[in-house]
Amino acid sequence: MGAGSLIMLIICGVIFSGGTILVSKFFVPRTYNSQKHEAYECGVPTRGDSRVQYNVGYYLFALIFLVFDVEIVFLYPWATVLREVGMIAFVEILFFISILFLGLLYAWKKGALKWQ
Amino acid sequence: MTTLIILSALGLVVLFSEIFGYKKIVLPFIFAGLVAALAASFIDWNIGKHYLNEMMIVDNYSIAFTVLMIAITIVWFIISPGFFRDQGSRVDHFALIIFALIGAQLLTSFGNMIMLFLAVEILSIPMYILAGSNKSNLASNEAALKYFLMGAFATGFLLFGIALIYGQTGSFNLQQISEALTTQQDGGGVMAVAGVLLIMVGLFFKVSAAPFHFWAPDVYTGAPTEITAFMSTVVKTAAFAGFFRLFATCFSASASIWVNTIMVVSALTIIVGNITAVYQTSFKRMLAYSSIAHAGYMLMAIISLNGYAQQSILFYAVAYSVSSIAAFGILLAVSHITKNDDVASFNGLAKKNPLLAFVTLLAMLSLAGIPPMAGFFAKYYIFTAALQQHYTWLVLIAVLGSLIGVFYYFRVIIALFKNENSAAEIPMTGIYKAALLFISLVALVFGIMPGLLAGLL
Repeated sequence: MGAGSLIMLIICGVIFSGGTILVSKFFVPRTYNSQKHEAYECGVPTRGDSRVQYNVGYYLFALIFLVFDVEIVFLYPWATVLREVGMIAFVEILFFISILFLGLLYAWKKGALKWQ
Repeated sequence: MTTLIILSALGLVVLFSEIFGYKKIVLPFIFAGLVAALAASFIDWNIGKHYLNEMMIVDNYSIAFTVLMIAITIVWFIISPGFFRDQGSRVDHFALIIFALIGAQLLTSFGNMIMLFLAVEILSIPMYILAGSNKSNLASNEAALKYFLMGAFATGFLLFGIALIYGQTGSFNLQQISEALTTQQDGGGVMAVAGVLLIMVGLFFKVSAAPFHFWAPDVYTGAPTEITAFMSTVVKTAAFAGFFRLFATCFSASASIWVNTIMVVSALTIIVGNITAVYQTSFKRMLAYSSIAHAGYMLMAIISLNGYAQQSILFYAVAYSVSSIAAFGILLAVSHITKNDDVASFNGLAKKNPLLAFVTLLAMLSLAGIPPMAGFFAKYYIFTAALQQHYTWLVLIAVLGSLIGVFYYFRVIIALFKNENSAAEIPMTGIYKAALLFISLVALVFGIMPGLLAGLL
């Protein structure tokens, strides 16, 4: 691949993304009214401060969930080659899962799973 | 590999010490584990092995750096025993330090781009957390956020560069990439150029070379001093070891792409780091800028593509880490009493604490590069390696930079001998004193007998 194709890629990218915005600027019909300047065009107006601090527990749960979510992704390629590689693959995945389990154990003992 | 396994097991054991209730004995355990890892590093000395489908290549170069980093970590654990004594999650921080050390070790011994990326992340992620580990301090929080955002940004560059290189050469393996870049006509073409430059930008961020250094002073100042000590020694050494390994082995065939860029960045880093350090009143911030300046000198070794470069960067890393950890050790002891990290808190130290003043003196002389300290020979080797490649103007700038360096390092020494009695008695345990004295003597011994280290690689 030469410099020419890279430059073409950049030019095409600019034209494609910039052009779409430009086109919509020309053709989209516009109406202005007071509702248009609200933060949300739909739903009820907010009462009080709209910035809310979420309970940190949500993040902790999400993180721990994510770890095991990703683990499943790793299990798929493992499952496809398990028969060919044999016993050693089985032992290795057990090792991998047990390390992840230790992580869960750590989070559990630290009280991350306790909802406060 | 044995080292890696020992360190990983140690990290897990330390992590679980609080839960399973053996928190009290965890420090001796850490020392035992680190010493075992240190001993295990020597197994592969002069053998040269590769593991996990050449993901990891263990050779003398990587072993030498691993030994250095583990040794510095041992010293670190001695000089920061009260590390967050008040806070509950002390052992978690210790575990994170060990995990960062694992990343540092991988960064010296990767044989594959994937491993480079993993190593950078394993090293960085604990450091992001540790930079913000003083949770009640706003500056520490800011440091963590800044470090994280900048680091993640830099990792993006690194990954994009790796992707382009993969696209051009069809491999992640350093050996195969090197071969592909040599055999392909015009050295891989525009994609190789873009890839190498993007990887370089990512690594410049990590080693805090100008103009990518803006995060460094704030992070170094905001983070707890213990963490700054770790960052400016182990992390810096690891980043440079990785940088050198990648560019001097894998990309050496396409040197024409990157040599000029690194040369300019190196000169810029030396100038910016040294001149800005002159204006600092805080000792910690001064060390941050001085570490930027030292990054500039170490970059000089990367562009000196000769047999001399490898040993010169190792020598520099040793001299710099040893003197730097000594300087931070003193700062920890002093700021524990004075509650700030100004240069002024060193006033009159020589009268009250002659030992501490002596260590400060050796560390500052070594950082400034004055014989007979190791810092002198470190600079000498780096400059010789660069001169062999005829980078005369760069060496000239570097020499001027070290002259400026003398000014601000000597300001600390002058403060030591001021006729004031502001410095109070500083209580220190025997082992703390012994560790400080030991590392400063190491800096002295390598300065008197540089041959001990210089012929190693």
